[in-house]
Amino acid sequence: MQAILLWPDRPFLSLLVLWIVSQLLLYAARVPMHRALRKTSAALGGAFRIAARWLRSASEELRGRNREVLLESGRGDAEARLEREFQRLATTFTNDLKGYPALHRRLDESVKRVEEDLVASSLTPPEAPGWPEAVAAVANMPKAGDRTVQKVLDEIHRSAQAQERKALQDWREAVAKRHAILAHGASRWKVIRGLLEQVGHSVSGVLAASGRIDGYMETYQKIQRGESSAERVLAASALNLFVISLFVVAVAGFGGFVNFQLVARPMAELVPGGAWVFGMPVSTIAALVIVLMEVAAGIFVMETLGITHLFPRLGALSPSRRRVVFGVALAGLFLLASIEATLAILREQLLEADKALALSLAGETARGASTVAAPLLSRIPVIGQAVLGFILPWILAMIAVPLEMLVESGRHVAGRALVILLRAVGGILRIAGHVVRYLVAALGHAYDIYIIVPLQAERLARGRDGDRRGGQAHHEFTPSSLRNPAEQTAPVRAPR
Amino acid sequence: MRTLRNAAALAIALAACADARSHARAICVLVDVSGTYADQRAEVVRVVKSGILPRLLPGDSLIVIRIGDHSYTKDSVEATVTLDSQPSHANAQKLALAGKLDRFAAGDQRTRHTDISGALLLAAEYLRETRAGRKSIFIFSDMKEELPRGAQRSLGADELAGIDVVAMNVKRLAADEQDPAAYRKRLDGWGTRLAAARAASWNVVLDPSDLASQLGEH
Repeated sequence: MQAILLWPDRPFLSLLVLWIVSQLLLYAARVPMHRALRKTSAALGGAFRIAARWLRSASEELRGRNREVLLESGRGDAEARLEREFQRLATTFTNDLKGYPALHRRLDESVKRVEEDLVASSLTPPEAPGWPEAVAAVANMPKAGDRTVQKVLDEIHRSAQAQERKALQDWREAVAKRHAILAHGASRWKVIRGLLEQVGHSVSGVLAASGRIDGYMETYQKIQRGESSAERVLAASALNLFVISLFVVAVAGFGGFVNFQLVARPMAELVPGGAWVFGMPVSTIAALVIVLMEVAAGIFVMETLGITHLFPRLGALSPSRRRVVFGVALAGLFLLASIEATLAILREQLLEADKALALSLAGETARGASTVAAPLLSRIPVIGQAVLGFILPWILAMIAVPLEMLVESGRHVAGRALVILLRAVGGILRIAGHVVRYLVAALGHAYDIYIIVPLQAERLARGRDGDRRGGQAHHEFTPSSLRNPAEQTAPVRAPR
Repeated sequence: MRTLRNAAALAIALAACADARSHARAICVLVDVSGTYADQRAEVVRVVKSGILPRLLPGDSLIVIRIGDHSYTKDSVEATVTLDSQPSHANAQKLALAGKLDRFAAGDQRTRHTDISGALLLAAEYLRETRAGRKSIFIFSDMKEELPRGAQRSLGADELAGIDVVAMNVKRLAADEQDPAAYRKRLDGWGTRLAAARAASWNVVLDPSDLASQLGEH
C-alpha cells in the first residue's frame, strides 16, 4: 500500500491524486477498452461456442456409428438365432417326417383293425323266429284224449324247448364273442389315441418353433428397418450383458489373483534374479506370465471349440487344423495346470521352511515346533493347494466366454459413455461461453461505473452543447455507441 | 523372418522397460561393546535376529560392525552377508548369520572407548559398496562417544548421503538420569552432525517393535 502512495506522509492526498489520474486515464481509454472487451468477449464466447458445436457434431457422429454397430451386431445375432431356430425346425421336421410313414401305417392298420372288429361285432347269429311263441302254442294246446297225439305234442314241446335253449345258448355265445371283439377294440383305440397324441406333440412343437421364428423375424425386421425401439432393446441388452460379463470377469480376476498367489512364492525359487521390470521382480512377472498363459490357452480352447469367436482366423481354419490347435491348447492347459499343482505343493514346503526359520531366528525352536507341528503334519493343506492349483487354471480357461461378451458389449457401452461425455463437455462449454460473454459485459459496465464522474460531466457538457445548437438530438452515451461502424451496420440476424 | 524381427523388437522393448534402479536394501548394524553397553549384546543380537533378519529379502545385505576402541578397522566387522536371489539359499544364509551373531553375543569382549564416528565411517563405506537402493544404519549404543587418545574422526559433507540412521535402544547413563537434558542434548548433537553429513533421516527408536516402520514396511 505504501508503495503506491505518492506522498506517504499524506495518504489521503496521494489517493485523491491517484484517483483523479486514473479517472482521466480510464476515461480517455474508454472507447478502445470497451472495444477490446467486446472483442475478447466475442473471441472467447465464439471459441467456446465453436468447440461446443464441434463436440455436439462429434457426439452425433459417434452416436450414429454406435447405432450402426449396435444394429449390425443385433442383426447378426438375430440372423444367428433365426438360423439356429430354422436348423432346429428342420431337424424336428426331418425326424418327425422320417417317422411319419410308419406312424401313418400304424394308424391305418389300427383303424382297419377297428373297422374289422366293428364288422365282426355286427355279425350276429339269426335268432330263431317265433320259437317261444311256438313252444307256448304247443304247451297251451288242449290235452286230447288220444295218447298218441298227446305223446307227439309232448315230443314237439320238448323238442321246441330244447331248440329254444340251444338258440338262447348260441345267442349268448355270439353276444359274448361280440363283447370280446369290442373289448379288444378298446386297446386299439388307446393305441390310436397315443399315436394322435404323438402327432399332436410334434405339431405343437413345430407351432412353438414357428412362433419363436415369428418373434425373431419380427425383431429382425425391426432391426432391419432401424427402428428406435429395436435400438433401445439392443442397447439395454448390451448394457445388461456388459454388467454381467464385467462381474464374471471380475470374479475370474480374483480367481486369477488366488492363482497368482499360489505360484508367486515358488516362482521366486525357480526364477531367481535381481532384475526388476515395471517395478516388479522377474519372478513375479514369471508367475503372472504363467497365469496369463493359462488364460490364453483357455481362450484358444474355447475358440477352437467354436464357443467364442474372438479370433476369426481360428474360426476359418479347416476342421483338421482346428483339431490340432485344440489339442495343443488343451495339452498346454493340462501341462500348466500340472505345473501349478506341483508349484502349489512346493509353495507349502517353502512356507513351512520359512516358518521354521522365523521360529529359529526368534529363538523359539522347541516351543514353536511343538506349536506348529500339528498343522504341518497334516497333509490336507498340501492336497488342498495341489487340487486348487490344478483346478483353477481350468476355471480360468472359462474366462474366454465372459471376456468375449465384455469386449462386444464394452464397445457399445464405451461408445455410449463417450457420447454422453462429449455432450456433457459440449454443454459445459456452451454455458462457459455464455458466462464469459456476460462477465465481460459486466466488466464493461463496472468500468463505466468507476468513471461515472467524467461520464456524467461529458453528458452534461453534451446536453448544454445540444441546447446551444438549437435543440439538436442529445446523444446518449451507451455501450452500443462504442461499436465500430462495421458492427453497427451489420444486419441483425433473424431469430431462429 | 518377420516373427524373428517382432520378437527382437519385443525383447528390446522389454529391456527398455527393465527397471535399472536397485530395489535391494542394505542395512548396517553398529553394536556398542564398550563400557556398560557391552552387557546389552545379547539383547541387541536378539533384536537383530527377530526384528531385522526375518525382514530381509533376497538380494538385501546386512553388515554387523562393533563399536569399540578403534572402530574404523576391518576387524570391527563382525559379520557381513548379501542374501542370494534364491529365497531358500537366502534362508540358509540367514541361519548361518544367526549362528555367527549367537557366537558374538556369547563373547565377553569389552572396550574402554566408544568410537561411534569410526563405525559410522566404516558402515558408510560398506553400504556404498553394496550399491543398494535403500541404505540404513542401526546404532545400538548409549551414543556417548569416547575416542581413544589421538584418534581424529570427522564425517565428510556427503559421508552419509542417502543413508537413514536410526539409534535403537539408546541406553541412558547414570549422568542422564541426573540430568535428562544432557541425554537430549547428546542426541540432538548427533542429529546435527548426521544432518551435516547429509544423512537421509535421523531417528531415535526406543521400542524395538517399531523396527518394521523403520525398515520401510508399512
